Amino acid sequence: MPTHALLELREISKVFGETVALAPTSLTISQGSFVAIVGPSGCGKSTLFNVIAGLLKPDAGEVRLGDSVVTGATGHVGYMLQKDLLVPWRTVIDNITMAARLTRRVTAEDREEARRVAEQYGLGEFLRHYPSALSGGMRQRVAFMRTLVTHQQLLLLDEPFGALDAQTRLEMQQWLLQVWRDTDRTVLFITHDVDESIFLSDRVIVMSPRPGRILADFANPLPRPRTVADLTNPTFIELKSRVMSLLHGSNA
Amino acid sequence: MKRGLLFNLVVPLVSLGLLLLVWQAIVVVFNVAPYVAPRPLEAIQSVTGNWSILWPLILGTVRETVYGFFCGAALGLLLGVAMAKIPFVQQLFYPVVLVSQAVPIIALAAPLVLILGFSITPKVVIVAWIVFFPVTVNVLDGLNHVDQDLVSLARVYGASRWRTFVLIEIPATSSPLFSGLKIGAMYAVTGAIIGELAAGDGNSLALYQEHANANLNTAAVYGTTIVMTIIGIAWFLLVVGVEIWATPWQRRTVARRGLRHRGRGGARLLDGANIGARST
Repeated sequence: MPTHALLELREISKVFGETVALAPTSLTISQGSFVAIVGPSGCGKSTLFNVIAGLLKPDAGEVRLGDSVVTGATGHVGYMLQKDLLVPWRTVIDNITMAARLTRRVTAEDREEARRVAEQYGLGEFLRHYPSALSGGMRQRVAFMRTLVTHQQLLLLDEPFGALDAQTRLEMQQWLLQVWRDTDRTVLFITHDVDESIFLSDRVIVMSPRPGRILADFANPLPRPRTVADLTNPTFIELKSRVMSLLHGSNA
Repeated sequence: MKRGLLFNLVVPLVSLGLLLLVWQAIVVVFNVAPYVAPRPLEAIQSVTGNWSILWPLILGTVRETVYGFFCGAALGLLLGVAMAKIPFVQQLFYPVVLVSQAVPIIALAAPLVLILGFSITPKVVIVAWIVFFPVTVNVLDGLNHVDQDLVSLARVYGASRWRTFVLIEIPATSSPLFSGLKIGAMYAVTGAIIGELAAGDGNSLALYQEHANANLNTAAVYGTTIVMTIIGIAWFLLVVGVEIWATPWQRRTVARRGLRHRGRGGARLLDGANIGARST
């Protein structure tokens, strides 16, 4: 089990006008882990992400990544949203190398890597396609590959499969677990979907609104590798009911 | 492809043919006098028959149209970007831009000629005056509607504002930009003709038409109008062609071979800081 801390949040807080988006929050994420965050709208999970990514400066507190303080700075995480945010004027391979293009010159190695990743994960035939030619699931895969080739150790995924139909979502979840196993990254994964949070993660963090805060932090005992059968496993069901009772009151 | 060609070329040509047919029918059926309206063929013959006189005049009008269009497009783009990016510039220039378009351009043409003389300059200025407005308004609107999540994503990756602008915001604005350019292209010839009329120098298409009118040479009046129209349409179609070439993702599913990837950094319009692969 990985134990080395990759990300550490110390007493992060953020207020928007009258609304406490995030009450002072601390969180430590170990290297190589897969941590899911669940909670209703307005619980501060996206604020938390934006603070970690550097898009928002917290009112107080500190974000540490590895040995350095990165509070309010950008360029140190991979980031992916429910919207795939592929640019329609670039081909699949050029979308995958977008992060490199935005910061420096795209090299032959960048392209080679993009090609390799796309081929490995089933999009090799679509390198020269424009995103408009792809299905929703394929687009999300390209968006994830773009996130992957940033070579950031920490990936922030904000409901990446939220817009997909249930069938595609399940396929994408399994696909994500496979890629995560292959590439040894650390994932922070926001979702509304309790099943998804448990199926994917090592740890489930439950957040609640007004003020946005962490309510509970469950270790997920479900063994890996996971299969669809795990969705009906008693361990799964038990953790699910504990999470649900926190999210929807204690009548579960 | 075949069907596309039929649809895109033959159908518009048929509709133009129908237009001429309606014209012919009206003149014949209502027995319109030749000095009021000629038949289409007579109008066309008035052009082909005087081609050696008309050709240099046409070139002159085209030159005014094209120069003015480029000046107006450049000014429009610059102003749109500046207004979108700097709120103070927007506050400062928006009223001026509006006033510039509310002023009847015909009322403006005469003083412009007085100021700038009888050269090509006042005509170019009038064309640019007309062309810049739709470009500015569309670019401003386009830049204000770029998906902010995309801009945020670029920031998360550590992109500078300049690279975000060149690689994300400008290409994301290509559709409204080309809309502005197309509207501008259509009106550009009108501007050139207004300039020629105001300047009143004998060596122009507009004056040629005035003389024909004074001489009751109605066929030539209609013929010249057709010529002016064709210049406008040709310029518009050229801009459409550039748009098709520059925005292949609008109608293609797969990139053109040899444009990028294996070759030198692609030559795409609006991709100024193209940081594509060096040749491998």
